[in-house]
Amino acid sequence: MTAKLETAMEQIEIATGVLVVGGGMTGVATALEVAQQGYPVTLIEAGDQVGPAAESRPRTGLPDVQRLNDMAARLAKTDSVEVLTAARLDAAAGVAGDFKVWLSTAEDVLERRVGAIVVAAEFDTTPLFDAYGLAPGESVIGQSEVERRLAEDPRAFADKTVAFVAGFAQNGNPLVMQRIFHSVKALQAGGAAGVYVYVGDLKVADDGLERQYRLGRDGGAIYFKLRQAPAIAVSEAGAVIGFHDPVVRQQIEVAADCLVVEEALGVGPECADLAAILRIDIGPQGFLQSDNIYRFPVATNREGIFVAGASREVRSLPWALADARNAALRVAEVLGDGTRLVPRDKAVVDIGKCTFCLTCYRCCPHGAIYWQAENKPVISPVACQGCGICASECPMDAIQIGGFSDEQIRSQIGAKLADVNGDPAIVAFCCQNSALVAGEMAAAFRMNLPAGLRTIQVPCAGKIDLQYILDAFVSGADGVLVMACHPGNCKSERGNTYAGWRVEDAQRLIAGAGLEPERLRFATLAANMGTDFQAIVIDMEQKIRDLGKSRLR
Amino acid sequence: MNSQTKKVMVIGGGIAGLTAAWELARAGVEVALVEKAAFLGGHGIQYACKATDECQQCGACGVEKMLANVIDEPRIRVYLAAEAAEVTGDGPFTVTLRASGSQPGAVDAACGQGYDKDPGACAAARGYSVHNAVFYKADGGFDPDRVAAPETVTADAVVVATGFTPFNPDEKPTYRYRELANVVTGLDLERTKRIYGEVRRPSDGAVPRKMAFIQCVGSRDERLGHLWCSQACCPYALRSALAARHKHPDLDITVFYMDIQNTTNSFDAFYEKCRQSLRFVRTIPVDMYETEDGGIRTRFMAEEDGLPVEEIFDLVVLSVGIMPGADNPVLAGTLGIELGTEGFFARPDLLNTSATARGGLFVAGTAGGPMTISGAMASAGQSAAAVLHYLGRA
Repeated sequence: MTAKLETAMEQIEIATGVLVVGGGMTGVATALEVAQQGYPVTLIEAGDQVGPAAESRPRTGLPDVQRLNDMAARLAKTDSVEVLTAARLDAAAGVAGDFKVWLSTAEDVLERRVGAIVVAAEFDTTPLFDAYGLAPGESVIGQSEVERRLAEDPRAFADKTVAFVAGFAQNGNPLVMQRIFHSVKALQAGGAAGVYVYVGDLKVADDGLERQYRLGRDGGAIYFKLRQAPAIAVSEAGAVIGFHDPVVRQQIEVAADCLVVEEALGVGPECADLAAILRIDIGPQGFLQSDNIYRFPVATNREGIFVAGASREVRSLPWALADARNAALRVAEVLGDGTRLVPRDKAVVDIGKCTFCLTCYRCCPHGAIYWQAENKPVISPVACQGCGICASECPMDAIQIGGFSDEQIRSQIGAKLADVNGDPAIVAFCCQNSALVAGEMAAAFRMNLPAGLRTIQVPCAGKIDLQYILDAFVSGADGVLVMACHPGNCKSERGNTYAGWRVEDAQRLIAGAGLEPERLRFATLAANMGTDFQAIVIDMEQKIRDLGKSRLR
Repeated sequence: MNSQTKKVMVIGGGIAGLTAAWELARAGVEVALVEKAAFLGGHGIQYACKATDECQQCGACGVEKMLANVIDEPRIRVYLAAEAAEVTGDGPFTVTLRASGSQPGAVDAACGQGYDKDPGACAAARGYSVHNAVFYKADGGFDPDRVAAPETVTADAVVVATGFTPFNPDEKPTYRYRELANVVTGLDLERTKRIYGEVRRPSDGAVPRKMAFIQCVGSRDERLGHLWCSQACCPYALRSALAARHKHPDLDITVFYMDIQNTTNSFDAFYEKCRQSLRFVRTIPVDMYETEDGGIRTRFMAEEDGLPVEEIFDLVVLSVGIMPGADNPVLAGTLGIELGTEGFFARPDLLNTSATARGGLFVAGTAGGPMTISGAMASAGQSAAAVLHYLGRA
């Protein structure tokens, strides 16, 4: 659908080594999958063991631990995998296909050249005693502690009454519930006298959890679903948990020998450092992935750097292993056979014009720009996504994007407006990831569109220069639309933000030239919404009809 | 790895099948992509964008994107309105395809007078997407250059990505889904928004002033024996509700629910926004009555005092859940694989949830159990990786 221009290609060499950060099961699985594809792997783990022992991941409800140990053993025996324990990533430089990483171990600092990096961090668990106003003690314990005691002695709570509280100190997630379901099952098998669970929203949106919830109740567990935390009174004998039931209109109290407090499952503490070293975006809750559909499932803002398992979300082990396989797939796409054909003109810096101001380096959302000797900025054709934000931000106009050079875009403006006659002439600069596709849909579905609408394709709204907007008005446009992706949906994270700023600047400039600022509009929409495209352009046409012809036309 | 000469069949052209096909093709595998309907994209291609003033990560536009990837990929051979009739062999498999009976809509007849004449018919005839256009001839029928006729295909591996069947609300007759015009399903609502660009109620095409979402229709239902959470309905209902209120700020929305399930890592902030602009009632209404002007009167227990309350809504949306594909039992028989307790394709190995019990046969997406669009993409990527692993070993 989008314009593809024939362009000279060049073959470049790609480093085929891969760094995997994290030695829990996500990291082990990633390393095994990558090695199986024939690429050498260096796996680093901060602790001194690799495999299930390296995980803080709760060990409940998981497949036979022997199989996990077997995987770790298989990794240890794989010649093409170098495992470094008590090791960490100190620094990284370069781009996809050509990263240099510095790893410190107990004895040494090692340097490795790799083509891709996978971060496979593990969870951090935090008991939420404070949020409930409780202190851990004889009768108040955290979720990890009940799991530990049950693993040590399946009958540790025989003849005891145990209560759980969850979902009041945090929204929680299915893994929090899964841990409780498994403990409930273990307590029932171990002869507990009674099991009570006080819960806010029961998070059961993962495989098999609703059934486990039912099995627990079949076994006699009683669940109270409440909107607020119950009142908890702790004594040496245990805890009394009470709440008012509006339906039966009475206070319901339970005396438990032991109260189990929920734990938060979050991203590991090392992740913030890793994000800074690898220059990858941090998303909500500190995960190493922004909440952006273009990152599904394991991508980051940087080509060649992937995130798997707990590095990006809190989910059960099967999903973390799915991530490991996805990461291996992506790694293979980047590394290929160790060579890669790339377009020569994907993004090119004219060194004669460059004043080394670092603007491009700072604004590139993909970390694709680096510096060679003699202060020469280079845009990696492997890492570059072609958004053009750098080209539009460069104060010296020293960067051109293949297929979307300033000349190529600016020459279209006048040409496209030439055949607009009596109708309002509207130029719509359309991001090819959203508005362009929505516009094609509107046209193909024969939706009613303005006769004087002319669309111009850009690789990202971040490539829409202030100059293009002014050119459009000078060339006789009565109105100009800058159409971008919704905030949070930009493939290049901030292209739409830059576009919005430039529209504000341009509105001031055209007002200075005596044009109504309403002749220029910034709009966001999605690729699958032809109707939204139609609504925006029809509304614009009406506005222009109300305003009359541009005085520059 | 010598996968260059390998061929894989992907059955199902929804988001999971598209993703699996594209990932395999990019790795150099020849793919036969078989879709029962007359268009690619499955349910997801019919969903509307749920952005407010920002993206809410519903993934609907990602389906559009993946479809665009697939139609540009020369290694994928597309079979539309086709299904697997017979499978023999044990890797490689010989799969005999037959026509499913689906028909492409007559595009010219539906859209020739312009979209506004009959938006629903035009969108359906176009397969809901500009990217499906390449499959149809202008005068109706499939373009034989882009859509292969059903034939016998030899495949080294098969990926089952046949998706789900939405819960049929007729199974819960007190909702009177077919009888009352303004009781619709979440999928009906999505299609309406996709076709008209906004929420409308069917009886008169007006934008509702007061609407309700009822969660867990068909999911988490012990009476029906449906012991699973569909995982996608809380995200779709809440995002849809916020998006509708963004377009129509006076719209009054109530969400009836049992337990609100999470969306993405942004859930805390997202849910806070929902709580500020939507009313949440933790109970599921059962009986629906129609008022004179097409309103839906329903009764539920107030949470505060447990007393019954009666309210009238202009539009009631049933958040129907993800049920096992209606064809699953037949297809499982054809493929010689098992279904699990719930009726989805069994995935016996927790360490590789894309594997079936039979070598060379893999599962992707909601064919194996409920999941969201992003989940289906991760699942399909895993299946593609597992297929490549299998082919490399074979």
